[in-house]
Amino acid sequence: MNFKWIISCFMIICLTLLSGCWSSKELTDLGIISAYALDKNEDGEYVGTFQIINPMNVPGSLQGGASGQRPAVTTFTETGVNPTELSNRASRKISRDLYYSHTSLLVISEELARDEGLSAILDSMERALEFRATAKVVITRGIKAGDFIKVLTGIDQIPAENVLKTLDSTEKLYGENINTNLQEFIQSLTSTGKEPLVSGFSLLGDMEKGKTMEQLHSTDFDAILEANGLAVFKEGKLVNWLDGEKARGTMWGLNRIHETPVSIDWENHKKAIAYRVIRQKTDVSAQMKDGKPAISITIRAEGDLRTVAVPVDVTDPHVLLAIEKALGQEIKKEVEAAVQEAKENKTDVFGFGEKLHQSEPDVWKKLEQEWQDVSFPELDVDITVEAFIRRTGVRNNPYLFDLEKKSD
Amino acid sequence: MSYRKFLKKMNRKEQSQDLEKDDPKSIDTSLTENLNIIKEKTGNSPDIIIRIISFGHDPKVRTAIIYADGLVDNPTINEYLVESMENNVQEKLHGKDPFTILSEKVVALGSVKTAKDWDSLFQSLLSGDTVILMDGKNEALIGSTKGGERRSIEQPDSEVSIRGSKEGFTESIATNISLVRRIINNPNLWVEPMNLGKQTKTDVSIMYINGIADNDTVEEVRHRLRRVNLDSILDSGYIEQVIEDESIGLFPTIIHTERPDAAAGNLLEGRIAIFVNGSPNALIVPAVMIQFFQTPEDYYMRFPISTFIRQLRVLMYLISLIGPALYVAITTYHQEMIPTGLLIIIASQTDSVPFPAIVEALIMEVTFEILREAGLRMPNKISSTISIVGALVIGQGAIQAGIVSPAMVIVVSVTAIASLATPSYDIAISARLIRFAFMLSAAIAGFYGIILGLIMLTVHLVSLRSFGVPYISPLAPFEPGNIKDTILRAPLWALNERPKFLSAKNRVRQGKNQRPQVPMSQGMVRADTKEGDKNEF
Repeated sequence: MNFKWIISCFMIICLTLLSGCWSSKELTDLGIISAYALDKNEDGEYVGTFQIINPMNVPGSLQGGASGQRPAVTTFTETGVNPTELSNRASRKISRDLYYSHTSLLVISEELARDEGLSAILDSMERALEFRATAKVVITRGIKAGDFIKVLTGIDQIPAENVLKTLDSTEKLYGENINTNLQEFIQSLTSTGKEPLVSGFSLLGDMEKGKTMEQLHSTDFDAILEANGLAVFKEGKLVNWLDGEKARGTMWGLNRIHETPVSIDWENHKKAIAYRVIRQKTDVSAQMKDGKPAISITIRAEGDLRTVAVPVDVTDPHVLLAIEKALGQEIKKEVEAAVQEAKENKTDVFGFGEKLHQSEPDVWKKLEQEWQDVSFPELDVDITVEAFIRRTGVRNNPYLFDLEKKSD
Repeated sequence: MSYRKFLKKMNRKEQSQDLEKDDPKSIDTSLTENLNIIKEKTGNSPDIIIRIISFGHDPKVRTAIIYADGLVDNPTINEYLVESMENNVQEKLHGKDPFTILSEKVVALGSVKTAKDWDSLFQSLLSGDTVILMDGKNEALIGSTKGGERRSIEQPDSEVSIRGSKEGFTESIATNISLVRRIINNPNLWVEPMNLGKQTKTDVSIMYINGIADNDTVEEVRHRLRRVNLDSILDSGYIEQVIEDESIGLFPTIIHTERPDAAAGNLLEGRIAIFVNGSPNALIVPAVMIQFFQTPEDYYMRFPISTFIRQLRVLMYLISLIGPALYVAITTYHQEMIPTGLLIIIASQTDSVPFPAIVEALIMEVTFEILREAGLRMPNKISSTISIVGALVIGQGAIQAGIVSPAMVIVVSVTAIASLATPSYDIAISARLIRFAFMLSAAIAGFYGIILGLIMLTVHLVSLRSFGVPYISPLAPFEPGNIKDTILRAPLWALNERPKFLSAKNRVRQGKNQRPQVPMSQGMVRADTKEGDKNEF
């Protein structure tokens, strides 16, 4: 009896000990990758660049270290025939295990996106256990992705973090860029009724100087990373860039605008009134009109007057109504331009196809195959914009108005 | 099982030893002979005081007053015994029995009894009574004169109270019983005395409320106490270890308290208290696990606060159980679960630490256990040294030397504080040991290991019983009616029933409608208060 007990206890202990700390990794063995960039070289091989965090050099981390004196990240570049090959080959250069779980930024160069498309490479990201589906995707404009993540940044000293926060805040405050993560990208990519949009980033200044610590020792950085435009994809390949008003119009249509300025001309004064949207709601609905699919976009924006550089009586409700109308027109113009651009490119970035799928599944089944190339460009899109002025700021009439009254 | 057989064998041996003892001899008629026997039996110990007085007159009778110095109340003996006997010297004894006169008229003590055999004589003598022997009488008169120096009633050390009574049990069993009786003024509060310990002959009492406590449980307690056959009982801990259900595991199945109000509260729920002379801790059975997270004060405070504090205590227990294990698991297996910013901070701290997380955790935990034990055992005068050295060693030195990371110090300190804040020392100490097992399982298998450990722990807890009551009732088996007083504390007026698992019969605790009945607000102005009175604002 006792002997049996001892044997079974012994076996249980062996069971736990023999399996032995499988998959255990000490923190000191991990190279925490903050950003991962992919390019392609002349030989047709992938070039991967890893931005690895140097925990000791990150400002704010305690004790000794060299926080602030040495770069917070180190980059390594490796080539390979596919991303998996590349990742494992990189171990020849990097002293620690590459750890993708905290990779929050995936950077892809314009050439790679344009020439080859992302369909092939994204699979290895999505399939990997560690790579997060919530990692953000950006496309570099006019610079190699690998060089892009070598640039040191100032306020947030981990460049990946800096890019993410920039993307977040510009989407929230300006609305010309979109925050797309891997999962959203792949979803739009596989959907027949929607095409993915990815933010572009470009570099202002001198790349070589941006790589060194001297960059951080000056108030005016030599190299700055800037969010720049929206990349439009079709069948996994980059086909077009949307900039400025077209980009923002697209964001309106996607209901992704949070806060954004809208400026209008007023009484011969160019862009004299600025309105800041504080919240908006865009409803997109699809219906059948005369046997053809039609889309109606209804935008209801709400905001404050932030600049009134003309002598105008904003306490007068009629004047406000006129301003509201003009603002509505301005927004409508942007959205129309964006829709027009999308039609020309034959890329349904708004997801009108998905809307039609939801409301008219039978019609959709017929149109699905040739939606992007045939049906979408001929789509009848009706845009209604209502802009509403919630308040005129903390002031009623502009002082210009008071000045004018005085001189009268 | 062979282990059981072994135990039985041991028991048989002991019983045979008992039989070898001499039969109790009865008291002789000769006083000189009797005194010689006493001297011989006590080995002429100087604290056994024998005083010979001639009692009465015509004829005079030689009497001896015998008592143990220090155990008796000296003024009582002087005033009511010695003086009284000397004053009554004029009493004429002819024809009457001097022994009867002595017991009926002379000895002015509260309780007087007679003894005929040596065993009960010595028992009384050595527990502080005074023995009076008379020449020519084979009987001894025993007067109750218990007294002597004892610790007075003080505030309990281990169970501090803010709101409740500040009285704590002392080492004297009589005082302890009286402290409870002062709270429960009810004839149904029954006390059953026992005498346990072959050499120490310690007084042990069972206390319960007749009609509330379950008779079977009382009988079980009696039964378990009766089979106690220890050499000595120096503290209630001796009794605890030989009557508890599970003596090998880590979890206490008997709760002990230093507070009369806690004891009274438990008696009123149908539990049974065991008092042991010489121990300021009353044992209370049956105990369930949730009790170790409750204090008497929970019932004195507002109920939302007590509920919160009770849940906090369970949380603290969990932290003290698996705190370091979680840290070890997260930093060696599940780094993806830490927010990136925190991961960078932790990584920067551990970069210079040469040990794996588990070794680091073990170093810190063992250091802390050493410090704690040292702080507990060392004389007060040098205890400040340990706190300085401890703070320096754990807090700063270890970090500066790069042996442990600051994050680990935080984890260990939080665990330590959580462990110290658990109200019951008994349950906290169980977590202290189990914590190491959890740390090892976390190091071997990460969260998976911790979860396995928790499952095993739960299975063990569910299997425990305390005097027939499942250890984690009323949660398992689930008792919806009693859930009000677990990690929740329903308002007092809602606690209408006693725990079902304790007293199945007499369950109604209080009248219904105990919720305060407040008049409507306009009725607040009493009829006799007119306008302009102080009710007006």
